[in-house]
Amino acid sequence: MVVLVAKSKRRTKSNDTSQGEEFVRSRSGLHVPTPGGGLSHDPEWYRKAVFYEVLVRGFYDADGDGTGDLRGIIEKLDYLQWLGIDCIWLLPFFQSPLRDGGYDISDFFTVLPEYGDLSDAVELISEAHRRGIRVIADMVMNHTSDAHPWFQESRKDKTNPKADWYVWHDDDHRWNEARIIFVDSESSNWTWDLHRGQYYWHRFFHHQPDLNYDNPEVADAMLEVVRFWLDIGLDGFRLDAVPYLFERDGTNGENLPETHAYLRRVREEVDRLYPDKVLLAEANQWPSDVVDYFGDGDECHMCFHFPLMPRMFMAIRREQRYPITEILAQTPSIPDGCQWGIFLRNHDELTLEMVNDEERDYMYSEYANDPRMKVNVGIRRRLAPLLDNDRRVGELLHAMLFSLPGSPVMYYGDEIGMGDNIYLGDRDGVRTPMQWTPDRNGGFSKSDFARLYLPPLMDPVYGYQAVNVEAELRNPSSMLHWVKRMLEVRHQHPVMGTGSFELLTAENPSALAFVRTLHNEQTDERDVVLCVFNLSRFAQPVEMQLGQYEGQIPIEMLGHVPFPAVGTLPYFVTLAPYGFLWFNLLERQ
Amino acid sequence: MIDSDLLCDVIGEHLVKQRWFAGSGDDVPSCRVVLLESLVEGWPSLLRVLVEATFSDANSEAVLYQLVIGLRPLGDHVEFLSGHPEAVIANEIETTDGLAMAYDATADPELIVALVNVVAGDRNAERGRLVSTESTHTSMVFDERLIMKLFRQLGAGGRNPDAEITRALTRVGFSNVAAPVAEWSDEVNDYGVVSEFLVGGADGLSLALTSLRDLYDCRCDPEDAGGDFAPDACRLGVVTAQLHLALVDAFPTEPGNGAHWARVMEERFTHVTLAGIDRSLVHAVYDRLSSVSRAGIAIRSHGDYHLAQVMRTDTGWFVLDFEGEPGSSLESRQELSSPLRDAAGMIRSFHYVAQVALRERAESIDERIVSLSTAWERRNRFAFIEGYLGVDGIGALLPPGELDQNVVFTAFELDKAIYEVGYEQAHRPDWVGIPLAAVARIVGNV
Repeated sequence: MVVLVAKSKRRTKSNDTSQGEEFVRSRSGLHVPTPGGGLSHDPEWYRKAVFYEVLVRGFYDADGDGTGDLRGIIEKLDYLQWLGIDCIWLLPFFQSPLRDGGYDISDFFTVLPEYGDLSDAVELISEAHRRGIRVIADMVMNHTSDAHPWFQESRKDKTNPKADWYVWHDDDHRWNEARIIFVDSESSNWTWDLHRGQYYWHRFFHHQPDLNYDNPEVADAMLEVVRFWLDIGLDGFRLDAVPYLFERDGTNGENLPETHAYLRRVREEVDRLYPDKVLLAEANQWPSDVVDYFGDGDECHMCFHFPLMPRMFMAIRREQRYPITEILAQTPSIPDGCQWGIFLRNHDELTLEMVNDEERDYMYSEYANDPRMKVNVGIRRRLAPLLDNDRRVGELLHAMLFSLPGSPVMYYGDEIGMGDNIYLGDRDGVRTPMQWTPDRNGGFSKSDFARLYLPPLMDPVYGYQAVNVEAELRNPSSMLHWVKRMLEVRHQHPVMGTGSFELLTAENPSALAFVRTLHNEQTDERDVVLCVFNLSRFAQPVEMQLGQYEGQIPIEMLGHVPFPAVGTLPYFVTLAPYGFLWFNLLERQ
Repeated sequence: MIDSDLLCDVIGEHLVKQRWFAGSGDDVPSCRVVLLESLVEGWPSLLRVLVEATFSDANSEAVLYQLVIGLRPLGDHVEFLSGHPEAVIANEIETTDGLAMAYDATADPELIVALVNVVAGDRNAERGRLVSTESTHTSMVFDERLIMKLFRQLGAGGRNPDAEITRALTRVGFSNVAAPVAEWSDEVNDYGVVSEFLVGGADGLSLALTSLRDLYDCRCDPEDAGGDFAPDACRLGVVTAQLHLALVDAFPTEPGNGAHWARVMEERFTHVTLAGIDRSLVHAVYDRLSSVSRAGIAIRSHGDYHLAQVMRTDTGWFVLDFEGEPGSSLESRQELSSPLRDAAGMIRSFHYVAQVALRERAESIDERIVSLSTAWERRNRFAFIEGYLGVDGIGALLPPGELDQNVVFTAFELDKAIYEVGYEQAHRPDWVGIPLAAVARIVGNV
């Protein structure tokens, strides 16, 4: 608690708190000011939102030290507002020795100095809110850095006040059913600590000891962390590595009931004190297991849908819809008020091995056997190089991302078709600086080139001279303008976020066709959107059975062009290679 | 209602225009109405009619056909008939309620809904569409959730094999067939069946063509091609084996008899001419089959198993249409045979579809494409067999040794190719080269 008070004071000491203060809410829950500026109260905003994942380090360097920072993001908020995203997801920006990209936090209440300070965080949140943009951040619940003062104290001896804040044991045989997640670098989930003379438990790197959630003090302390940042004004968290909070004998230590109980406690606290917040779980598991993290609508608001992403790539590679429709068929329905988070790429690797070898997914192993899929999806690539820079496929995938059930999560730079640098080593290849202009350092930083945290891309195809925001802003036919336009259209149709989903019968296996429907019970109005995609590189005829929409007029949503009315025969469209059509189905006037 | 004599006068001319009519179009049969039943009264009205057609050729047996007839008063809107002149039975015919137009009711969206509600009223179908007319039945889909098959040729005293097998497979818990929700039958005949419609399905032929078009365009090896079909072929092999095991549960079996199978094949072979192929090589294949002493189990099989009879859905492959080879007698369709007969049929269709895709791009065939076609076929054949043989328990149905398995399989593959040669000679002489090349390859006459 002492720690917390100190940090809170620091917040009020900062120079620029005027805008930040209005977002710092009373803990009592009685005083709930309307969110500032452009935000409107909407408890289900996250079901309609488009998320945009930002690497603080890589977005924009405001102070010229070669590393991106929170003020840099503030300076680029106008760009994000123009693009039309609804929520920024910040990768970890807390104090950290950075041995795991900031997922090794050594102080939950402090901003990493290279990124700024607490006042910058407050200002970023308030400036974003003023533009109608919400902000969520990564939060690591499972473990801390071994540099965290909690761990430093805990490791001293077996009797100090934090002795039980981590998971200690005399031998390293316990819980050997638990798999080792980072098999390449770790040989055990236990590591010997010389100071204390015991082993400590860690599901990830050995420098990331797991917190002991069986200790009520830890459970309370982490709840305090959550409250602290929600008080500052964050709109929620993406909860990193949630399945592993507890350990129990005879289990693999994943998805335990105790873990779910703790998540319910977090949710209860959030619901009690803070309106309009979101908890987004990262549980890289099969959808039928992931749904448990929604609870009965009383755990996380959102979960990532991991298997959909590789399947979208597979569908295009196989030129058939089944990789997508199969996984949708295996995705259970979710409680009211919940939403999937869907994405094309993000900052992390998506291993094809994320599913254990159970028989339930017999087809998964078959797809994983495709050597090219393995290479392309298994390693860290950005979207554009993954697609051989084919703009048509990029548009097709985005059009699917923006219309399949779930809230889309975009990765910074993909909107301009940025590339990657596979020679930078595994994680950094897709974390190069955002390319703003064709000028020095791609407009990312005014520092000396040699001081940059990573070199920007400079190759002739994806380098900043060829691919950058400034050039694409000037070019009306750029990918960037296309994405902006698609986001505009999506915003006009909340049905894309909250509508029901129904696959249509189309005999052509290269066609994916579905209908999203939103029925407004108050006005008895229906918003019906028909989406059809050609997953093939050849033009395709598609016949859809639209019998129940007979007499309605499909209006193409990008150009508002009325198509022939739906008749009694199958509705026929021709799709260009990798083409797609979004229609709004309207009653004949 | 309508007078059955009046109907007899026009029905023969109508029958010969139908795809499901077994005879030739020149031979208008004489017809006798066996049953005339009103299903829906008033306008439009719906009748069900069973017609016995007798042919002038004394050797042909009489055939019993099932029709559903729609009647609408003259002047009614019948746009649904435009483009379907073959559906019209009589432009003007006398009924007890005045002059009417008579037509095949499967063309009338309103009446097919009435029809399905006669058979499966509890399902409350609202909207129907005619999907296809096959050689034995007409298919209609309702609300994208039900499919009704109306059988056109009623078996002489026997059940419809499709209804019979689907029913039996569902009973033993085989889930990869469209589950029947209602049957239209009596003690003697199956008239139709209503099943769950496989939403999102695409037939195996279109999937295989998608794979081949991708391959011929990228010109890489099939295993490197994005549209590789092998995982699907392997899963299809698995489902096929599961189908056979379910058929064993559902129907009687008997010990396989290689000599008997060989005799049936020889009999088929005598009617087919094979240009440029040494017939003794074919006999040699059948002779080897004859000499197999332990030929596995003879089971009730699909009988006409190929890519167009299977449908890929979001929950895997489904097997359709258990009616057997068109043109064969009901008895021969119900005859037990080796499960390898189905496997051979599917493998033959892998060859066929690879060749069909080649014909699509006839203007740009070169050696590379031809070798890709062979490689695709080989790869998927292997994947299918691997999936098939990998299913627990399937080995018990097959000849014990690999050598005998090959002998039996090869004979059935050859038999199927020879059947195809005969079929193509009669229907598509242009295509006869496809099965002929297969025959040559199988017997080693290349």
